[in-house]
Amino acid sequence: MTFLLAALIVAITLGITFWASKRNTSASDFYVAGGRISATQNGIAIAGDYMSAASFLGITGLIALNGYDGFMYSVGWFIAYLTVLFIVAEPLRNLGKYTLADMLVYRLRDPRVRTYAAISTIVVSAFYMIAQVVGAGSLISLLSGGVLKASVAIPLVGVLMIIYVVVGGMLATTWVQIVKAALLMFATVVMTVLILNRFGWSFSNLLGAAEAKNGADFLGAGLKYKNPIDLISLSLALVLGTAGLPHILMRFYTVPTAQDARKSVVWAMVLIGAFYVMTAFMGNAANVLVGKGAITEANAAGNMAAPLLAQALFGGAGTLGGEFGLAFVTAVAFATILAVVAGLTIAASTSFTHDIYNGVIKHGQAGEAEQFRVARLATVAVGIIAILLGLLAQSQNVAFLVALAFAIAASANLPVILFTLFWRRFNATGAIWGIVGGILTCLALIAVSPNIMGIDPPEKTTGRHPIQAAPLFGLENPGIISIPAGFLFAALGTMVGASRRNEGAEQAFEEMQFRAYTGAGTDGTVAAHD
Amino acid sequence: MTVSRVQSGSPPRGNAAYQQLVAERNRFTLIMSVTFLVLYFLLPIMAGYNKPLMATKVFGNVTFGYVFAFAEFAMGWIMAAIYVVRARQFDRLAREAQL
Repeated sequence: MTFLLAALIVAITLGITFWASKRNTSASDFYVAGGRISATQNGIAIAGDYMSAASFLGITGLIALNGYDGFMYSVGWFIAYLTVLFIVAEPLRNLGKYTLADMLVYRLRDPRVRTYAAISTIVVSAFYMIAQVVGAGSLISLLSGGVLKASVAIPLVGVLMIIYVVVGGMLATTWVQIVKAALLMFATVVMTVLILNRFGWSFSNLLGAAEAKNGADFLGAGLKYKNPIDLISLSLALVLGTAGLPHILMRFYTVPTAQDARKSVVWAMVLIGAFYVMTAFMGNAANVLVGKGAITEANAAGNMAAPLLAQALFGGAGTLGGEFGLAFVTAVAFATILAVVAGLTIAASTSFTHDIYNGVIKHGQAGEAEQFRVARLATVAVGIIAILLGLLAQSQNVAFLVALAFAIAASANLPVILFTLFWRRFNATGAIWGIVGGILTCLALIAVSPNIMGIDPPEKTTGRHPIQAAPLFGLENPGIISIPAGFLFAALGTMVGASRRNEGAEQAFEEMQFRAYTGAGTDGTVAAHD
Repeated sequence: MTVSRVQSGSPPRGNAAYQQLVAERNRFTLIMSVTFLVLYFLLPIMAGYNKPLMATKVFGNVTFGYVFAFAEFAMGWIMAAIYVVRARQFDRLAREAQL
């Protein structure tokens, strides 16, 4: 039944893809759906891009296993949208065309910045994508009872997503997101209603049952994060990382105006907020109705908590309802992963084609047809790389890859975006130093953190740390060090670069600010061609 | 690749509506951002350093920690609503600035 439902969802999304392929005629259509998506559609698609497997499967599992601490992820990921709404959404829409690099180059007037911004986009997308692909692999292999191994499931997901993007471009990707977001919200609402029905329509009763089963600690903080600094560092990366995620930023170029960008974020906040509030119900209910033992038996990281909860709510294992619930939620999770991976792929391949191929290699001289062809080729290449990296990383913990993507985005992209918008003296050297310094600090700290370094007991064979030594850096998420480091590098680079000739930089700032704040010269026409 | 230049030329320095827009918008962004970051970070800081308070029950079995976390969601929606209302005023100023 799982396969029938999953196949149905895949068939629907492929249908959308072929419908969209008829409307894809230019590079602009492929990259940003010609900038013609409405604010409401885009808001739902942003929510779809964001509510990934890490949110749906991951958070439900984290709450089911760790209680209150798991819910901290939900709050952080939601509040992150205030950063997006207040600071980046509207100016980005006013200044850019297809990618983050457009905005940086517009202000900093230096083509070198384009290369570095593209590299950062590709690095962040890659880490995020590997996590999703690996998640899909383990989900499918678990549900097929081991018949489909992860090494088969990962290429399967990769190929499907290549088809979505190559054939349908941004328009299809957006509609796949919308369908997936609707399915996910529907599944979550139905489960929450069933949970409330079980517990006398009272969150207090639900918490009481969780307390009776696990002890009072479960309702309070500290089960997962013993060290407060760990939690604060993670919170920093979550709340500041979103505003630097390439696949989220790119969504602002699919709408015609800054006002639409703002409306999209508000729509996304309504949906994402409602969804994350419901994770508190799902996680606690999974703990009570399924139990920690059964959840960790299915998957040690807790990723199966949501599907197992659906099975329990619809009548339990072995009943028709139970099996349907399990199949439906699994199919939704599968659609979720496909859609998110498609969104990431388009961000990475657009950045490669528009910024590196056309911007740097061809100096902006590549024609529409050529760009379109290269974008499709780049998508296939990005997809194959994601499949290969996913296969290599298949035994790794996927949560750390996602947190790593957020940390890199917060450390490398956010300082540069903020300084570009608000610092008159900021220059290209500062941008390059900020991007490179942010990425390297982040990667270096991760390499010596407990994610990679640690001493496993000899009897443990799975989940071994790649480096068997005591970690040199104690925190799981490097945000608290690497985000300030990103700002520091950007500021230092600016000082160093200021000694060079920099004529017109202040005028560029004035011009940028005028356009960013008023939308002058951009209203509805920014997606048109140069 | 060159990004297209602003069509309407350089920013008018003597433009009162534009000056007002920049000053008000920057002030508003700063105040709102600082407010929400301080309110948000109270949650992980208290979850880290004041575990007994977070575990205190306020309604039935609902702990202070959950009330606080749900309040963060309410704060997010309220601040987004305030922003939308204020942004409409900025939109008007932006139109005036371009005249």
